[in-house]
Amino acid sequence: MRTHLSLAMLCVLSAAGVCSSTSAPGRPSLLGCRSPEKETFSCWWEPGSDGGLPTEYRLFYMRENLRGVHECPDYVSAGKNSCFFDKEHTSIWAEYNLRVVATNALGNASSDFLINDVMKYVKPYPPVNVTVLANSSTPSAYLQIQWKSPPNVDVKSGWVTANYELRIKQNGKEWKNVETGAQNVLNLYSVDPGASYMIQVRCKLDHGNWSEWSNTTFVKIPKHHQIENRFWILVFAFALITLLATICILVLKRKLLLSLKQWFLPPVPGPMIRGVDVQLFKSGRPEDVVNALIGNQNFPPMMPWTDQVEEYLLVSDSDAWQLTDPCKCHKKKENLTIELHLESKIQHRKSTPGQNAWEKAEESKDETGDLESSDVSQSESNLSNMEPMKLLIEEQGCPSTEKAALTNVIQPLTNTTYVEFQQRENFWDISPTQAEYSRVKEVNSETILILNNENILPGSDVQEQEVNGEVNTPDDYSRVKEVNSDLVLLQKHDSNDSYCKKKEDHYTVSISQRPTTPHEGDHSKGLCSEMVESGYVDSVPGFSVK
Amino acid sequence: MDVKGSKKAKKATGSSRTRNRLRNCETGEKMAQRRISGDRLFITVVYLVAMCRAVPIGDLLDRASQRSDKMHSLSTLLTQEMDTHFPPYGRMQMQRPAECHTSALQTPNDKEQALQVSNSDLMSLVRSLLQAWVDPLVILSNSAITLPHPAKSSISSRIQELQEHSKSLADGLDILSGKMGPDAQATSSLPYTGGTDLGQDRVTILNKFAFLLSCLRRDSHKIDSFLKVLRCRAVKLQPELC
Repeated sequence: MRTHLSLAMLCVLSAAGVCSSTSAPGRPSLLGCRSPEKETFSCWWEPGSDGGLPTEYRLFYMRENLRGVHECPDYVSAGKNSCFFDKEHTSIWAEYNLRVVATNALGNASSDFLINDVMKYVKPYPPVNVTVLANSSTPSAYLQIQWKSPPNVDVKSGWVTANYELRIKQNGKEWKNVETGAQNVLNLYSVDPGASYMIQVRCKLDHGNWSEWSNTTFVKIPKHHQIENRFWILVFAFALITLLATICILVLKRKLLLSLKQWFLPPVPGPMIRGVDVQLFKSGRPEDVVNALIGNQNFPPMMPWTDQVEEYLLVSDSDAWQLTDPCKCHKKKENLTIELHLESKIQHRKSTPGQNAWEKAEESKDETGDLESSDVSQSESNLSNMEPMKLLIEEQGCPSTEKAALTNVIQPLTNTTYVEFQQRENFWDISPTQAEYSRVKEVNSETILILNNENILPGSDVQEQEVNGEVNTPDDYSRVKEVNSDLVLLQKHDSNDSYCKKKEDHYTVSISQRPTTPHEGDHSKGLCSEMVESGYVDSVPGFSVK
Repeated sequence: MDVKGSKKAKKATGSSRTRNRLRNCETGEKMAQRRISGDRLFITVVYLVAMCRAVPIGDLLDRASQRSDKMHSLSTLLTQEMDTHFPPYGRMQMQRPAECHTSALQTPNDKEQALQVSNSDLMSLVRSLLQAWVDPLVILSNSAITLPHPAKSSISSRIQELQEHSKSLADGLDILSGKMGPDAQATSSLPYTGGTDLGQDRVTILNKFAFLLSCLRRDSHKIDSFLKVLRCRAVKLQPELC
């Protein structure tokens, strides 16, 4: 009985005790406020004990430059135990003095003040729409990350300035932070193909507080570009091998290379003398040289001279000779002409006959030139044989009248002094106005004198003669002095002239194709002007006589 | 310290560039005598060549807003540094000891109000605020050396940097406002009446110092926001800036 009563009493008392343990509410505490876009802000508090009674929480605030105490305009929008200040109730650069009061039936309790400028509460939401593209174009893959600013943040008008920060993490590694400033895109190049990455972005406004990190975005970089790379590598390698093979083939087959080279870069032709073989010069044989320079000469085979040849020279100093000469080519007053009459048997040059012939020429040094050999008569008979003579002496310009000339020569030729020579027709083009003189053109090793019928300008001769005081001595005429076995022609200078004497054995005639190199001829002429009137022979293109 | 020094020089030359461009366009002479490194000198020369053509105000405002952004960043760091060793225990419980000496200036308090203010008025407000902080910064700089605070050296250097930025920004805005009309040239006078020293005892000194720094932070934020609003208005053709 007692136990039952005691138990009942306890029950009642306990019930009464529960019902009666109410008190005033505990003090709430303000947790903080946040302005996500610098236009509104919200505050939250944490309630204390409610004292067992329904408790009401109210938030009161005071604001700088605003008189009075005001209550929170919106308790609902920001959630439970919150207060939301909309745009009208928000002043940025003003301090808010906030407090929360908990009230129940038994009393109220107030929290501490929270005094702060709203600008200190600025903390945006994280950026949204974070998209990551793994761009795997060559040569290297990179990540293209884009995001948008948090909602309601007015960056366009400049009211807020957003700064972003990004962090990226590879599986198994640490986070890497990247500041991107105010831009909304980032290209990240330092990525490994085939790896997986996690990316987060956050932002802050106006040097305020950083937002939370955005939701993680996962990305994996594909590997297929490696295959592409390999493909291109193979292509390039193949091309390189082909190129190397081509180069090797070209190098090994030099002919091919040379032909290619010639096709691309044809050689520039150098100067060349037609008909002249440069190689010939290198052999060093003077006869080859002379042959090459003078051209291919179809000289008749040489006939040896015999002792039976009587040679004589008729030197005449008269003008009658010239006048009667039908093919007179010269108009000089005193022409020194040397007639060389050679027997038909003269076919081979020998030194002695040559000497005899030229000695006669010596004899004809006299100005009067009145040489009449006793063999004139013989010459007459020999005249007919002169034609077939194979001498290489050529007559100038009077092929058909050689006989006539000779006959004229037989006549007293006191004043005419020139040498007639047979002419070879097919030697050079001979103009009718050519000078009467033949030129020694070439001398080969067998002491054959070849006379050249080069055009000699009579005028020039006259001038020169007048200038130099010589008679009939064009530039490249030189006097035949002697014919030795080894030499063809020597110019003889006047023995009175000491200088010329020296030159007897060392006369060098320069090779000249035209009478344009009168140096040596002039030289000799100048010194030996007195001897001019005797017979002379046009000098041969030069070669030294030893 | 080296970073601060370089930042300081960067800010000084950037603002001097703005100033030089504008001033020389008007006078035709008188280069700035600021510290200008070689490459900056070249850029300055280039700008001098182009300056007497119409330098877009948007570019000038961009430079100015960069300078003001730097100022605001410095002031924020200053307050944070102050709070690490001087928790605002007292300030939590009570209101500001006083109002900022610039509170008399009527400034827009939210976005709608700010966007309705004209360019000239905004520029005038900015220049007034800048002008108002010349003297207090001197006081702060002098007090920071003997501040009973463990981070006083860092605080002192930051305040000096702030002073330089403020001076160059003010000079630049003087010229920039000349391009915007007479309304922009008018400034309000907001003298500082707090005296030359901050107090006698440690707490008072620290309190006042902290209070001044908070006022400075607020005003630098205002300056920065207004200039950025002006910039975004001026560069309609360059949306990437805003």
